[in-house]
Amino acid sequence: MAAARILVVDDELIMRESLARWLERDGHAVATAASGEEALAKCREARYDILLLDIKLEGMSGLEVLRRIKEEDPDAAVIMITAYGSIPTAIEAMKNGAADYLLKPFEPEELGVVIENLLRRREQARETLYLRERVREAARFENLIGQSPAMQQVFQLIADVAPTDAPVLIDGETGTGKGLAARAVHSLSARREGPFVAVHCAAIPETLMESELFGHMRGAFTDAKETKRGRLEMAHGGTLFLDEIGEVGMRTQIDLLRVLEDGVFYRVGGTQPLEADFRVIAATNLDLERAVREGRFRGDLFYRLNVVRITMPPLRHRKQDIPLLAEHFLRRYALEARRPVERIGRDALDAMMVYDWPGNVRELENAIERAVVVGKGPQIRAEDLPITARPSAPAGPAVRLEEVEREHIRRVLDECGWNITRSARRLGIDRSTLYGKIRRWGLRKPS
Amino acid sequence: MNPPPALCILLTPVGDFEEGLLAAVANEVRRVFGRPTRAARLLADIGFARDPLRGQVGSTPLLERLAALCPADALKVLALTEEDLFIPVFTYVFGEAQLGGRACIVSTHRLGLAPGFPLPHAALRSRLLKEAVHELGHTFGLRHCPDPSCPMHYCRSARDVDRKGGELCRYCRIQLNDALARAGP
Repeated sequence: MAAARILVVDDELIMRESLARWLERDGHAVATAASGEEALAKCREARYDILLLDIKLEGMSGLEVLRRIKEEDPDAAVIMITAYGSIPTAIEAMKNGAADYLLKPFEPEELGVVIENLLRRREQARETLYLRERVREAARFENLIGQSPAMQQVFQLIADVAPTDAPVLIDGETGTGKGLAARAVHSLSARREGPFVAVHCAAIPETLMESELFGHMRGAFTDAKETKRGRLEMAHGGTLFLDEIGEVGMRTQIDLLRVLEDGVFYRVGGTQPLEADFRVIAATNLDLERAVREGRFRGDLFYRLNVVRITMPPLRHRKQDIPLLAEHFLRRYALEARRPVERIGRDALDAMMVYDWPGNVRELENAIERAVVVGKGPQIRAEDLPITARPSAPAGPAVRLEEVEREHIRRVLDECGWNITRSARRLGIDRSTLYGKIRRWGLRKPS
Repeated sequence: MNPPPALCILLTPVGDFEEGLLAAVANEVRRVFGRPTRAARLLADIGFARDPLRGQVGSTPLLERLAALCPADALKVLALTEEDLFIPVFTYVFGEAQLGGRACIVSTHRLGLAPGFPLPHAALRSRLLKEAVHELGHTFGLRHCPDPSCPMHYCRSARDVDRKGGELCRYCRIQLNDALARAGP
């Protein structure tokens, strides 16, 4: 079972503590809340994959907590916990969007089955989203553009490293184009005629990861009805792109290290060694050195991957590229949407130049796409952009970049009524990133 | 100067517990964890953990007490019992461990269940050894393992325990070795 972030909500200390400890042994990251109010506050600060919510709570009832959570995040997976006498309430909760319910005290295996099923459904949905995004990305490879010294350095590094077969580690904030850089390395390499196989490490549960990466022989385990090629095998002669490498579990880290050291691998249940003939490119938006220090990422694997490092600069560090990128997106989306928008107005460009773009190029792209659709006339105006430009370096004492980002995110959240999906779309970042930032900045929905 | 003696793993019976089984667990612990073992009774009375309504013994208060009583020469304490254990949210547990902590406990009460006929003693012994390694593994920070043959695999029934092998899988072995190295001599 993949590790999940789980919030246990129960007003009985002994119940929530024992449940939390049990779930931790399964590798989950568990938080607890003693009341409905505390649970809602925690849900605003952080994203949870699953909520285990007791129906009978002091103060706000479990049903009310469920209703409010579903209002904020319709995708939230909530399992209601109920005593024998409250089954009708549990059924009502199911009608109101709860994913399942458990009658306490329950058999230990029941809990495992319910959580496993929920996580499997969620991960399948994530993988589908990721694949859609990769298809989109493949069509916009040309987005990796820029004349700034920062981007020129990136281009030079890509050109230098591409002909070698050295592993590459690409880091940078969300939306800076790490996937595009990986594709660029592949396209300029001697392996360009071979496949480019991307693995979204965060979307594949660790239990499936081994079979997904290495493939399996028929009969290797209960569900292995056919022999299946893994992604390492599919990448033969090409490039294996391990996206969000910082999210892989310890077991997969051990597996990957072994392949990189030995140069061979086996299908699950197979005895025939297969040659690891691919180049590895890994990407992350995490601080992997820190993860190594904290014991969350194996140091030996990190050094294997970190042979060449490409750091994608955030858009705010290469603002001179904004006009070029904006023109590029304008041409594309005007053509796609068949809108007669021809240019970007001076005021719009000024607004873009002083804005900090926390969601980087992806946010800029989304902003232009929106402006093309909602704008009136042949020119994009400042008011067509979903940004409220404020100077990043205002007069007076210097403001820290972090404060500007925090304020911008708060403003967008307020403008969107704290609707996370809408806010994330406007910021050009995904929802989990937005939840992470809300938690990091301690932002709270105004009461 | 001689190196300091290695910290042992203390095995402690809770209530009645067959000596032969305790000795077998001690052998297995030494084999898997590579540490010396010693046996001593730490708890004379477990009334404080008994729940008269459920007719069971709460494993969590037992672990808290055992961790507090764990002597300085012991790295971990593994308790063995015939009592039916529970934690409040579940109907029963085979055992419980403090993840990355000092104490764990295993019960033979549910492990000995077999539908329709008494479980042969050798089969109970085999289940007990695997679950003892499992719970002790948790105290070294190991989590549940998806490999059904690894002792760290979480079993949904006592019969599932029979499908597990006695050897830790490659991943759990690497992580246990890392944890043992971190624990020092």
